[in-house]
Amino acid sequence: MLELRDLARRYGDVVALDGISFTVGAGQMFGFVGPNGAGKTTAMRIILGVLAPDRGEVTFGGRPVTFQTRTRFGYMPEERGLYPKMRVRDQLTYLARLHGLQAVAAKESAGRWIGRLGLSERAGDRVEQLSLGNQQRVQLAAALVHEPELLVLDEPFSGLDPVGVDVLSDVLSDYAAGGVPVLFSSHQLELVERLCQAVAIIKDGRIVASGPVDELRDRGAAGRRVRVAVEGAADYEWVSGVPGAAVVDRGPQGALVALANGGPPDELLDAARRAGSVTYFAFERPSLTDLFREAVTA
Amino acid sequence: MSGLAATRLVARREITERVREKSFLLSTAINIVIIVAVVIVISLIGGGEERYAVGYVDAADAPVLEAAVAGGAAVDVELEARQVAAGDVRAQIEDGSLDAAIVDDRIVAEEDPPDELVTLLQGASAQARAAQALKEAGVSGAQAREILDPAPLEVATTEPTDEDEDSKAGVAFFTILILYGQLLTYGYWVSAGVVEEKSSRVVEVVLSTIKPAHLLAGKVIGLGLLGLANLLLTAAVGLGTAQATGALDVDGAVVGAAALAVVWFIVGYAFYAGAFACAGALVPRQEELQSSMTPLTLTILIAFFLAFAVNSNPDGTLAHVTAFIPMTAPVTMPPRIVTGDAPTWEIVASFAVTIGAAVAMIPLAARIYRGGVLRTGSALKLREAWRAARA
Repeated sequence: MLELRDLARRYGDVVALDGISFTVGAGQMFGFVGPNGAGKTTAMRIILGVLAPDRGEVTFGGRPVTFQTRTRFGYMPEERGLYPKMRVRDQLTYLARLHGLQAVAAKESAGRWIGRLGLSERAGDRVEQLSLGNQQRVQLAAALVHEPELLVLDEPFSGLDPVGVDVLSDVLSDYAAGGVPVLFSSHQLELVERLCQAVAIIKDGRIVASGPVDELRDRGAAGRRVRVAVEGAADYEWVSGVPGAAVVDRGPQGALVALANGGPPDELLDAARRAGSVTYFAFERPSLTDLFREAVTA
Repeated sequence: MSGLAATRLVARREITERVREKSFLLSTAINIVIIVAVVIVISLIGGGEERYAVGYVDAADAPVLEAAVAGGAAVDVELEARQVAAGDVRAQIEDGSLDAAIVDDRIVAEEDPPDELVTLLQGASAQARAAQALKEAGVSGAQAREILDPAPLEVATTEPTDEDEDSKAGVAFFTILILYGQLLTYGYWVSAGVVEEKSSRVVEVVLSTIKPAHLLAGKVIGLGLLGLANLLLTAAVGLGTAQATGALDVDGAVVGAAALAVVWFIVGYAFYAGAFACAGALVPRQEELQSSMTPLTLTILIAFFLAFAVNSNPDGTLAHVTAFIPMTAPVTMPPRIVTGDAPTWEIVASFAVTIGAAVAMIPLAARIYRGGVLRTGSALKLREAWRAARA
């Protein structure tokens, strides 16, 4: 279990982190989301010890993280994080050895991950000769090659095609299933919603929401939201006649109506039936994207 | 993993990766080709003794040539004398098989003959005529020889002479050139390696498992060993070629001087490498490296020019002053050691000063490197990197 407690960090006059705290459980896929410049990378660098916090603490398994603990962490920084001119197999073997594996074990592990990520035919190529998708696979292999007890990945999915996304998310889910906490940042919120059991939303160096995705969605969006479709009244002007109700979104499946004060939907349903034939009427939980928008524009 | 093990791993990667690069192999090959070519050219133009072929027509002139040959041997000029038929003289001079000929008391040559040749022939001729005159005057052969061949003046110099002085000056010249090139090249590689890690962010991965000081040390040591191997190879090939072509008499003293030059590379590299690593750590991209390295390349360039000034006056004030400046000593001292112009105490003291400075640089460089290497975005100032390293 990884825990961040009250981490703060400034760069000169710029506050990058202003006391953030959250917990990533064993075997949990944890999404770290927030606008650019919100402090995600700074937080990750502090976890990996490449940056020291001004305040606060990181613990792993209940103990403060030391240099020794960190050699068992896996890290994938944003953009590359590999020696461009080094060959794939040499590179993975080297990184495994830097993390403390003996020569033979390092070579074996490199070979295993090369096979697992479908890089066998590229093992002798220089990283810079690979396609972006393959480079990202090598990056992932580099983060995993020493079988880390914690995985931290900065934007692992950016720039991947759908097949690459599938490969990567399968590998990560499998790895987490072995009991390893996996923390990653991403702007692809649908993906985060699908993969992660828990998330933290960060804005301007503060956590504005964090916890299990389900709980956040249940709690989210101040009031309740109803998706309603009415045949013969596509303009949904009748909604304005219902006190506290407002259309927040229109789509092919009908209008999404927010009810202020979390009031009961009976009045809305009555009004809908007066307007026409109701073909769809259901509560809708906010998506992670909705939560994100709400949190960062607040 | 221990710091030593980490440093060794990093150093080994630097060596194996660099050796596999075409650019490295190419630059090493070019170095060797240049040194071999230069040594061969030296052996062809300079070095060896002067040789002249001189003909004579009249057998009576044979004693003159004999005297000239004997005189030439004393001043490292080799004369080959042979009798030729009067009708052949012109043709042989024109086709170059004769440099000059004595015909009817005249020296015949194609163009104005070299002064030393003329001097030798004139002297020999005067000697032969004097011998003839003495003989005619009735002086006995033994007396005549005593008159004509007095014991020569002995040469005494105020400073010890060195037969190889010119060759050693040549070696000193190339020592400067090679040390300069070597410091710049390997310093640049340290910088470029740091920037490569920084711009690709791989440094973040590496530093999440080993300490900055070990990464820095491994990089500097790995490239330094490579530079050392390169220098040894260049020196071996250069000295070997010099010996084979006769450009230089390679004896223990020359080898010792070359070995000292190699040691000076190690010290100079130790002093500069940390600074080059900092230059790399301050900038985010290769394109900006040139400007952050400028103060260093300029310093080495100045040391390079000072070394030439020192080489032309190896016992001057400049020579003694630059011996105690760590930035210049690694380039200005080796040529003085090669030519034998640096007293032992000065070599030792200069060495101590430079090593001391190199050791003092290590923690400074390590701190600036640590502060700069993880800062992405824009280029940093030294002071910013220094402050950033508080963590």
